[in-house]
Amino acid sequence: MGFILDTNDVKKTYRLGEVLVPALRGVTFKAKEGEFLAIFGPSGSGKSTLLHVVGGLDRPDEGKVFVDGKDLLELSDSELAEVRLRKIGFVFQFFNLLPRLSALRNVELPLTLAEISEKESVRKAEEMLKLVGLQKRIEHRPSELSGGEQQRVAIARALVNDPKIVLADEPTGNLDTATGQEIVKLMKHLNKEKGQTFVVVTHDPTIAENADRILYLRDGLIEGGDVLVDTEPPDVPREEMDRNKTCVACGRKILQLHTFCPYCFAYQGKTELPEEG
Amino acid sequence: MRLKRIFSMAWENMKQRRLRAFLTTLGVFIGITAIIALASLGEGFRTSITEQMEQGFELDVLTVIPGSLFAGYRRERFTDINVADIRQVSNISVATGVMQIGNVTLYEGDKKVTAFVATAVNFSEFQEVFHDRLRFETGGIPEEIGNSSLVIGYKVNHPNETETTFANSDDEVIMTVSVPMIKPPYIKLENRTFTVAGTLQKTGAAGLTNFDYWVLIPLDTAREIYGNVTDLIFVKVSNSEFSEAVAQEIEALFPPYQITVLVPITLIQQVDFILGMVEIFLASIASISLLVAGIGIMNIMTVSVMERTREIGILKAIGAKNRTVLAMFLAEAALIGLVGSLTGVPAGYGAAYLLSYVLSRFVTPQQNRIVGTPEVERATVTPIFSWSWVIVAVIFGVVICILFGLYPARKAARLNPVEALRYE
Repeated sequence: MGFILDTNDVKKTYRLGEVLVPALRGVTFKAKEGEFLAIFGPSGSGKSTLLHVVGGLDRPDEGKVFVDGKDLLELSDSELAEVRLRKIGFVFQFFNLLPRLSALRNVELPLTLAEISEKESVRKAEEMLKLVGLQKRIEHRPSELSGGEQQRVAIARALVNDPKIVLADEPTGNLDTATGQEIVKLMKHLNKEKGQTFVVVTHDPTIAENADRILYLRDGLIEGGDVLVDTEPPDVPREEMDRNKTCVACGRKILQLHTFCPYCFAYQGKTELPEEG
Repeated sequence: MRLKRIFSMAWENMKQRRLRAFLTTLGVFIGITAIIALASLGEGFRTSITEQMEQGFELDVLTVIPGSLFAGYRRERFTDINVADIRQVSNISVATGVMQIGNVTLYEGDKKVTAFVATAVNFSEFQEVFHDRLRFETGGIPEEIGNSSLVIGYKVNHPNETETTFANSDDEVIMTVSVPMIKPPYIKLENRTFTVAGTLQKTGAAGLTNFDYWVLIPLDTAREIYGNVTDLIFVKVSNSEFSEAVAQEIEALFPPYQITVLVPITLIQQVDFILGMVEIFLASIASISLLVAGIGIMNIMTVSVMERTREIGILKAIGAKNRTVLAMFLAEAALIGLVGSLTGVPAGYGAAYLLSYVLSRFVTPQQNRIVGTPEVERATVTPIFSWSWVIVAVIFGVVICILFGLYPARKAARLNPVEALRYE
């Protein structure tokens, strides 16, 4: 079985003035086609950097990144832009809509960049906005929309070009809990409906609870979670993984599969999954 | 991304920042206005001058003068043999030698006038050469050659520019000329009596000669006093196309640098060329204002790129290529250039017509009384519309804008998307 996303020992170091900050120290993970993968980690763990590298916005110092079988490191800047345009959709914490364009024009932008005719792109953008429930607000500018509505526009924009992968960077980070939950539900719904792969980096437990699989990132390394080691999918039944346990530090109810507590980030020790019968 | 969409997005962007777009465009507008106004006035000036010269000059009359204007060599006056030699040159219809006597005074009763030059001519040949210009107020060309008839120029006959004349045809006048002598006092004043055969109408300065200040006397009469010398030779060619060839042939008759042949067509061409240079020079000065406008564009666009850093990051994140971002910014620069130029061109012509009106209304040209420049009521220079200047100005305006937009646009295109997204 092939992976839509495959990273191998990705390293990335930033320079902040004189100081070298290692953001990624050898990240290896894979994503299956159509799954909803949550990468869970506290701030400063390198989540955003990982997403940028995987999304072809940034180049790693070392390691390999394959998107849909293509080695991103071998692509030129303009080929990378092409990958971002056609294979990847980005959703950001701060929505990142163009403030002077209407919701419709914002969603239309990737289609325009892909040289799709205006008539067709307007039709597609309208359809996409309908899908995220904003059919009545298509002519509104971002400043006239609520945070949740802006994030819906952003999701519509990420999905309008039918990308293989949607990368979301703290999509609920700037929303209140209820709105955040709506957005998560929407993403989950779209994931099921359209079968696109979602990779969401977050420290929002709501997302973790809705994810098909969770990875834990800490100090630039994957430190546990449901790591796919081989090309084989895990044999552990989902129900087993969903069983509850209690956080060793704060005592809140968390899932069996959590290596880190989603509430207090305490390390839970080695995840013990039940043996197969 | 399609070019049309890039331009429509650039246009939308400019509309969002109306004041800024207006002010940057204003710079280009002023530059183009200045270029067009100066160029069209320059061209109008050039055309009116060459037209006046073409009207004034007899294009088919060459003037041969002794000595070289360029080498500063002063030659003896011409002889009859020289004139005869010149007559042998092909494509010549008439060649006539004239003698010029400076500062002569005329008396009629107790009236007295001074003529600038008394020119001794062979009247029949002279009339053939200057047929169109010899128009008479009274009388006409003396019928017999060698008699003591004379023809008076307009300014000599009307010394105060009034209707009262010095003399009319058939009047008797006395001319005082100074005759050189070998012994002291070296100069002897001699009085001669002439009959006025005709008085000339006003001709103004036409080319190299101005008959208004002349008195024409018969050549033979002058030769009795001064001997067989010739100061100038007027050559009429059968067609003005041959002017240059005839001039070269005449020059070849004499040793190098001994004579100068003045060819009106060449003079006009040279004046035209010089005025063309002046026109370009004026337009270049005006172009400086366009350069200033270009720097303004660069400045504003650099600020704009910084302001829109995050926007550029977003565009790149959703898949815009570097060259798309570059094209978007260049399109804005090009639009500024295009709008500025297209509005500047009509404004330039408007300004030119306004300026020409003001000039013609309020400025009177100074008349040079000695040389006798033609009298004009008001200075009139009509600006000339020319498509080539329009095209040059528009292209220049757009190119300048794109060139100055290139630096900020490249800066935008090369932004690192991750850093751009992080920019607050």
